[in-house]
Amino acid sequence: MRKSFLGALLAALLLPILVACGGSSTPAAEPTSAPVAAEPTAAPAAEPTEAPAAEPTEAPAAEPTEEVAAEPTEAPAAGGAPTDDSNCADEAVLCVGLVTDVGRVDDKSFNQSAWEGVKAAEAELGAYVDYIETAAAQDYANNIMLFAEKNYDIIVTVGFALAEATAEAGEEYPNIKFIGVDQFHDGSQENVVGLIFNEDRAGYLAGALAASMSQSGTIAAVLGTDLVPAVVAFKEGYENGAKAINPDITVISTYHPGGFASGFTDPEWGATTAKQAIDQGADVVFGAGGNTGNGALIEVAGNEGKYCIGVDSDQWETVPEAHSCLISSAMKLITPGVTELIKAAKDGNFPSGVYYGDVGLAPFHDFDSVIPAEVKAKLDEINAGLADGSIDTGYVPAN
Amino acid sequence: MQAINSNTQARSVNLPWRLIVGLGVILLLIIISYIRSPQITTAVLSSTLRQSTPIILGALAGIFCERSGVVNIGIEGMMLMSAYMGFMFNVWTGNLLLAIVGTLLVGALIGAFHALMSITLKVDQVIGGTVINILATGLTGYFYQQGLTTSGKLQTITIPVLSDLPIVGPVLFTNPPITYAAIFLVVIVHLVLFKTRWGLRTRAVGEHPAAADTVGIRVNFVRYVNVIIGGMFAALAGAFLTLEAVGTFERGMTNGRGFVSLAVMIFGKWTPFGSWGGALLFGFANGVQTQIQFLQSQLPSWLAWLGQIPNQFIGMLPYLLTIIVLAGFVGRSRGPAASGKVYSKE
Amino acid sequence: MERVEAQAPKPPNKSNWISSYLFPALYAAIVPVMAVIVALIIGAIIIALSGSNPLVAYKELLIGAVGSPRAIQRTLERATPLIFGGLALTLAFKAGLFNIGAQGQLILGAILAGWIGYIFTDLPAIVHIPLALAIGALVGALYGAIPGFLKAYSGAHEVIVTIMLNYIAGNLTDYLSNGPWKDRARGNVVARTPKIAESAEIPSLGDILPFDISILNNIPLGAVLAGLVAIFVWWLINKSTLGFEMRTVGENPHAAQYAGISVKRITIIAMLLSGLLAGLGGAVETLGVNGRFEPGTNAGLGFNAITIALLARVHPIGVIPAALLIGMMQAGGALMQFNAKVAIEIIDIVQALILFFVAADILIRKMLRMRKSEGGLNLSGGWGGS
Repeated sequence: MRKSFLGALLAALLLPILVACGGSSTPAAEPTSAPVAAEPTAAPAAEPTEAPAAEPTEAPAAEPTEEVAAEPTEAPAAGGAPTDDSNCADEAVLCVGLVTDVGRVDDKSFNQSAWEGVKAAEAELGAYVDYIETAAAQDYANNIMLFAEKNYDIIVTVGFALAEATAEAGEEYPNIKFIGVDQFHDGSQENVVGLIFNEDRAGYLAGALAASMSQSGTIAAVLGTDLVPAVVAFKEGYENGAKAINPDITVISTYHPGGFASGFTDPEWGATTAKQAIDQGADVVFGAGGNTGNGALIEVAGNEGKYCIGVDSDQWETVPEAHSCLISSAMKLITPGVTELIKAAKDGNFPSGVYYGDVGLAPFHDFDSVIPAEVKAKLDEINAGLADGSIDTGYVPAN
Repeated sequence: MQAINSNTQARSVNLPWRLIVGLGVILLLIIISYIRSPQITTAVLSSTLRQSTPIILGALAGIFCERSGVVNIGIEGMMLMSAYMGFMFNVWTGNLLLAIVGTLLVGALIGAFHALMSITLKVDQVIGGTVINILATGLTGYFYQQGLTTSGKLQTITIPVLSDLPIVGPVLFTNPPITYAAIFLVVIVHLVLFKTRWGLRTRAVGEHPAAADTVGIRVNFVRYVNVIIGGMFAALAGAFLTLEAVGTFERGMTNGRGFVSLAVMIFGKWTPFGSWGGALLFGFANGVQTQIQFLQSQLPSWLAWLGQIPNQFIGMLPYLLTIIVLAGFVGRSRGPAASGKVYSKE
Repeated sequence: MERVEAQAPKPPNKSNWISSYLFPALYAAIVPVMAVIVALIIGAIIIALSGSNPLVAYKELLIGAVGSPRAIQRTLERATPLIFGGLALTLAFKAGLFNIGAQGQLILGAILAGWIGYIFTDLPAIVHIPLALAIGALVGALYGAIPGFLKAYSGAHEVIVTIMLNYIAGNLTDYLSNGPWKDRARGNVVARTPKIAESAEIPSLGDILPFDISILNNIPLGAVLAGLVAIFVWWLINKSTLGFEMRTVGENPHAAQYAGISVKRITIIAMLLSGLLAGLGGAVETLGVNGRFEPGTNAGLGFNAITIALLARVHPIGVIPAALLIGMMQAGGALMQFNAKVAIEIIDIVQALILFFVAADILIRKMLRMRKSEGGLNLSGGWGGS
């Protein structure tokens, strides 16, 4: 009696949870084919890659719960491309591996942007691509090694935290090309390049746009942790860009106090902080800090007449909930940067040291008609000034 | 038994003079601050209430469990799991009301799971809570999927007339539904716990299960029901995150709020109002630390040194304040005597 | 368990140690081993439901964990701080205290050891390593003593104080590693302390042994230290007067008070020792594995330590296999994810299930028709009362 009650209760408890969760993995939810493919250069290429994955003709993989396993077998677009990494040692086969920073490849942030760059290379160059998600910082070197020992030709490592492990791997495997996203490399190794960005310039443009659009004279920034130099650069650029347009503007900005532990993963903190800024008069909010910043954008979207500005990629694509406020995004174009470097490696003109990727403002999308022509002209002027060095963002990298 | 009961009664009924003085000082400070800057005062107080909402709901979850004698350190996992399921229900049904009902059911299920472990299987309750915490991280992360969209989140309800009042209006009467519910629930839980037969039974079972048993209270039944209710409260906190405050789910988005709830519950000595005080204190300290950062760029010159304080130190404010208030003013917190102990008739 | 422990300290009968230690130990291992098996089976079902091959996944996990000397080394490196953390929790539990603050104590120990590691550049290793370890342990101890002290003298519940102190320690180490102690080497923009001097690096067993046995070469000395400390903690808890006092306070503080034991003193000492163990774990992690302190690298260790202590059923020696098991899963997880394409969170799910089945031993015992255990584990009992 007691025993059967117990068993029944256990089953009643565990099964619905499992079933509910299992059932949720619909095939449409392929993590990597998320609706983020509209990066300018990746767009035409991304189209064909996603098609085969969605088609039910991939017979064995057609189970509704198929999610993770679909990954490696996903047919590449280019004909005759390799389907596994057993032939990576072959000269003719191009293999590209990506090691994420601690986190996931679908983080709506830099890991994802870099992976999309690799996916674009898969489509354009017929490369075999794969990724590995780092679970803990102690795994960096080991994860790079997993690719290196399978003779991958190009290894992309994402995030400044992997700089050291990347440089060391570069020493050990001189025949493999390493692309370090957000990493500074000094150029002493011919096979290692750091893809870095002048985030302060993107921030400066965002600040100029925010100040131009603000009616109240107060604008805000809700930021991830200041332990990440890129976040500091975005912030300083934003404040100085706003002051360049309107010296009297009030910029209220705040970092998440939680460091790496929660600085980029706390959307509710971002949202409530954005609300606090709006409540004291801010009418444009810059959300820069992964999911924390995304929380801020979504919060602003619920307040009529307020604008928000996203970060890193064109967040029109990544945060559809924010369409009602998102006037633009301060972009650092990781995706095309990674693709270009992979192409350069293939074509034999691989740079070393650092390679500056593009930064800039994302399209205005629905707000194209709202933003006055003179503001657009001014932004173009600033953009040109930043490019030729006549405008200084005032950001000094701390060391 | 008798002595213990009157003790708990006294704790909740007699307001100590220190509390009254404290409330008076806080009120005075709010008024002064309002006169100096109505906008900032309102902004910080709104943020206080909002940040305290998931915390107090989590703490109420803990109160239900622990008052009946079941320790619950799995509030964090319960919140995270139900935040995820709430979001998924919203995606599937597109109906917020159904999503909330679904979330509460999930919360009840997780609560029942905790009760099953703690009561029937006699698993140590700290372990049971830890199992829930790890399981929630694992399951929500494993089944997380990107790119899901919903039809929306719970919207602000403005209460006519009252919302036009200065400070009180925008802070208390311009909120979304779960925030209102949280305030009501503090009062309701207090009444249930201290003014109803069920509350008396709950406390009896939590303080002295053997004695409760002899007067005919079904100890384990009372515990089951209370832990399930507790799970539903934690689920409401999760629903607050994904259905009201943010509207989407991200991995690990509870970020320790469940553990803070646990702290706040002990801080409030296992009473709803005490815990609410703790939650508000915590929310306030968070709002203030944000505000200090906001103001750092516009300080008068004699205060410029404030702008030099690294934000990591400002970020410590909520935690330091909690410790100071706890050690200096709240003092010893004594939980329900039978909390954490399995009860079985010998 | 507590009750069993209380009668356990019989004098060890040398001629009879097999029946008094080995058989009970083997018997005690049946339930955990079965728990692991059942948890792995359920994990396999989840993996299969989401379309991957569980056998491939587990095979890769195993290869990644113990498939090569390098893999074994990584497993040991992962397990080492978990052993220290698990011991920290265990010791506090024995005195009736729940030290959720191991995380904070651990990272402070880690950063202080890193600091000692880089500011001295001309010390011999024989001085440098012990000094850095001692400072790390000391800071952990002092930080652990704070909640002990507050509990003893103001009654502030250690659970609240340690949760709050975790956040404070996080912010403090963030500040130090991005401010005064930041690595100012050219090109570094990252928040981290400088690389420790070579003389502060904890070597592997192979570096110090006079003879050469290849399987021992890769074993980190830190892991050996962790094992020795576990034995010491077992002795401390079960054989020393202090341990007896701690257990007495843990079981019944009122009785301890009547027996003339100062509950306040024991509370402070237990938290201090618990913090010391956690701090030492952080120091070993910095000196033996990471080579420097970097915020985020130790994330979650303190919380994993709770799992370890519970999995070990709060037994200091049991902490070792528990930590090795979790260390294996962590070390092998990357390969499993890479080659079998299974999301890494499956490890969390399996961990939770293992913990569940170890704790819910009624289920396993019924399955195996074993007799009921004599008195379950009760940690949460000291939570409310007292």
